[in-house]
Amino acid sequence: MTPEPRVIGLGLDRVDGPAKVTGAATYTMDVAVAGLLHAALVRSTFAIGTITSIETAQAAAAPGVVAVFTHHNAPRMKKPSWNLITPPPPVPLQDASVHHYGQYIAMVVAETPQQATAAAALIRVEHKAATASLSLDAPALKARSNPYFLDAKRGDVESALAAADITVDATFSTKANAHNPLGLFSTVAYWEGGRLVVHDSTQNPYLIRDSLAKVFSVSKDKVQVLVPYVGGAFGAGLRLWQHVILTAMAARAVGRPVKTVLTRPQMFTGIGHRPATIQRMRIGALRDGTITAIDHEATSTAAKVANVLYPVTLSTPATYRCDNVRGRDRQVRLDIPSPAHMRGPGEAEGNFALETALDEVAYAIGMDPIDLRMRNYAKVHPQTGLAWSSKALDECYRQGAERFGWADRTPRPRSMRDGHWLVGYGMAGVTYGHFQAKCHASLTVRDDGTVLVRSGATDIGQGTYTVITQVAADGLGLDPANVRFELGDTDLPRAPQAGGSGLATALSNAVRDATVNAIAALLSLASADHASPLHGCSARDVVVAGGRIHRKDDASRSETYGAILTRNGRSELTVQGSSAPSRAETGVLLGSLAVSRMGRAGRRLVEATHAIAPAGAFAAHFVEVRVDPLLGRLRVKRMVSAVDAGQVLNEKLARSQIVGGIVGGIGQALFEEITTDEGSGRVSNATLADYLVPVNADVPDIDVVFVGEPDSDNAVGVKGIGEIGLVGVAAAIGNAVHHATGKRLRSLPFTITELMD
Amino acid sequence: MSFEPPLVRTAVQVNGFERKLEADARLTLLDALRDVIGLTGTKKGCDQGACGACTVLLEGRRVLSCLTLAAQCDGRQVTTIEALAGDDLHPLQAAFIRRDAFQCGFCTSGQIMSAVALLDEGRAGSDDEIREFMSGNLCRCGAYPNIVAAIRDVAGGRNHDA
Ligand code: FES
Ligand code: FES
Repeated sequence: MTPEPRVIGLGLDRVDGPAKVTGAATYTMDVAVAGLLHAALVRSTFAIGTITSIETAQAAAAPGVVAVFTHHNAPRMKKPSWNLITPPPPVPLQDASVHHYGQYIAMVVAETPQQATAAAALIRVEHKAATASLSLDAPALKARSNPYFLDAKRGDVESALAAADITVDATFSTKANAHNPLGLFSTVAYWEGGRLVVHDSTQNPYLIRDSLAKVFSVSKDKVQVLVPYVGGAFGAGLRLWQHVILTAMAARAVGRPVKTVLTRPQMFTGIGHRPATIQRMRIGALRDGTITAIDHEATSTAAKVANVLYPVTLSTPATYRCDNVRGRDRQVRLDIPSPAHMRGPGEAEGNFALETALDEVAYAIGMDPIDLRMRNYAKVHPQTGLAWSSKALDECYRQGAERFGWADRTPRPRSMRDGHWLVGYGMAGVTYGHFQAKCHASLTVRDDGTVLVRSGATDIGQGTYTVITQVAADGLGLDPANVRFELGDTDLPRAPQAGGSGLATALSNAVRDATVNAIAALLSLASADHASPLHGCSARDVVVAGGRIHRKDDASRSETYGAILTRNGRSELTVQGSSAPSRAETGVLLGSLAVSRMGRAGRRLVEATHAIAPAGAFAAHFVEVRVDPLLGRLRVKRMVSAVDAGQVLNEKLARSQIVGGIVGGIGQALFEEITTDEGSGRVSNATLADYLVPVNADVPDIDVVFVGEPDSDNAVGVKGIGEIGLVGVAAAIGNAVHHATGKRLRSLPFTITELMD
Repeated sequence: MSFEPPLVRTAVQVNGFERKLEADARLTLLDALRDVIGLTGTKKGCDQGACGACTVLLEGRRVLSCLTLAAQCDGRQVTTIEALAGDDLHPLQAAFIRRDAFQCGFCTSGQIMSAVALLDEGRAGSDDEIREFMSGNLCRCGAYPNIVAAIRDVAGGRNHDA
């Protein structure tokens, strides 16, 4: 029997493609249920203070209005449970205090959306505002040091900087960005006798379920969260936001289903944003290119009322083989809506500073930027000294450079031209840490030979529907057409969030485990059965292919799953599967802390564990830009990205995911910045006409190549690739701009005035 | 002041069927399609005319249905994503799947409707032209290069000097 080609990795079309191209896919805002009411939210127009009066009589009397809620009459609710990664903002409408611009202060529920919106405009609010702290450079702000307890150090940075041949000491800044998924975040909620059903735009249905159970004091099994499709999220869907609580609250109070669709301006204040940062990067190097010291200090913003785990310097100590490294985070709490994780949180900002400064080092010593990176290549995890589970960053540099034509680059700034356009080539590397959380799935084999896989995960566009279908088909030797994967429902087995580039690893391994368990269960039926050609076989003695279990010693003797079930009088068989992060994962985190706190003794302690360091993904981005020095115009002309993604689950979709990340990176580099009015904190560009995101004409052809081997830290060999496409793009573009113009841009987004001669 | 908006009677031809509406004068074509007629394939990404997710064809031309009042469409033909496929997918729908021209899929209805009009307008002659004239349709997932490829495939099939 010849082995069939593996289904894993193949560039199959999305299984949810037909639903999406015909308009049949039901996003939360599309959910219609009988008796549905519509909500409109009223937001504060000031940053901090107290509501002194709120007049709702006119709104309540407006046509179609069923209820108006303010802090005077909203039911009292409990706080959702705290969690480390995404602590929830406060429960809304519980008192008269306002903590940021755009906080919800009233909700109108009416028969139609138009009636709700019109009535909301009739609410009159009086308030007393206090002076707000709104930006990183607000005077007299106190920054908290080491706010996440993740600061790392090794060696002696100050002495190494003093002894270095050259030093770069530069300050970088990055602005607040809005996730702006195209799908307006929406919630539909209804109560069916004590049971709450919620359709929501979320990346983490189980978090929403557990949190709402707490808020409304019902048991978790009395809450069901449904999310078959999400119109993008990029991290905005990782928390329990206030509009979700309000929708469920209103539905309970009026005894009818309620739908809330955020407006685009509300999307800027109600679902998080990428926080602003200011960073100082000091690098010391010897003339031969050896980097002897890296000191990375970053200050980022958080809301006063809700924290966020947002380490910006986390990856820096893991990136290069340097003996003396320090990563220090600081946090400033402001009167702003809560920031949230946004694609490559912390990494996107920290990498910009590190990879730009490295380019500065390369110029200072006259070395090629790739040679400099290879000269300081971290063959082992440099903070702990442990071997990586896999790492092909060197291949990313090599293959990326080759496809891009890096060798054609003349290093001197302003040395390449095309007519009046200045041409620049730039590159940046990315080391993206591994993340994984516990995950469960179930798998049902039916007597007709079809398989149903289920898990309460979400597909926000990354392709989970498709790749998990492939993983199950691969594990069972089936045509993917015979496998269906259901997700997005908390009545299904518990899955973690689609976030942290961790879902593909967690879920593919859980489903792989389920396929192994299914074969074992089927085999135990067949093995005990004298009538089966598989009689007496154990898992070792068989292979699966073509929907059948075959004996290894005689491939002609085989049986279909359906036949095994039928002969045993069963119509179907269901098994469970699960996955969990390896011990290495916690080992690396603890090991890094041990080295930071205990120096050499810590290092010896870590080495004694013989653990490996899960690597995560690696990438190198290469960019060609064109700059018009008179008009300050900047065009990204082409890009090549080489990515070590371990075992790619679907070539076509993985490529799309990297391209999508890169487009986000182009936005971060060239366009994106939330601007706020001084004093009130009003977001002054809260529309898609004013807050610029890349459009089709901004994006060139992008060449993506995958390199490397399946990762050794998990059975399927997967690395998460949801974020690595974005991280590094800003630095690569900035480095290309420097090459084109001789100007070093250290503040995102890059602006026309900086580019003009 | 609170006021009762006038009800307006409109008869719109949606995907070949007459739909009689007796509705709030403020009702947009987008909300009429989604909330009244029940065709939710057309998406709302901004309600402000800035994203293109709500693109439909009005008398064969692409319009933003969030900036079009239902009352303006009396007696006129509206075509939405739901009407594109017959027994088989429309070539653009098939090309979008084959080229993986979407991720979350939320912009997709608008992209495809816009692309249908683009081809009729004869503005898909080169990649640059496609990029330029599809720039009113945002894709936050960043599927642009694949969107261009999908449209190029179909345009190339129609017009060989494309
Ligand atoms: S919803 Fe009409 S353009 Fe955005
Ligand atoms: S596919 Fe998500 S916005 Fe285009």
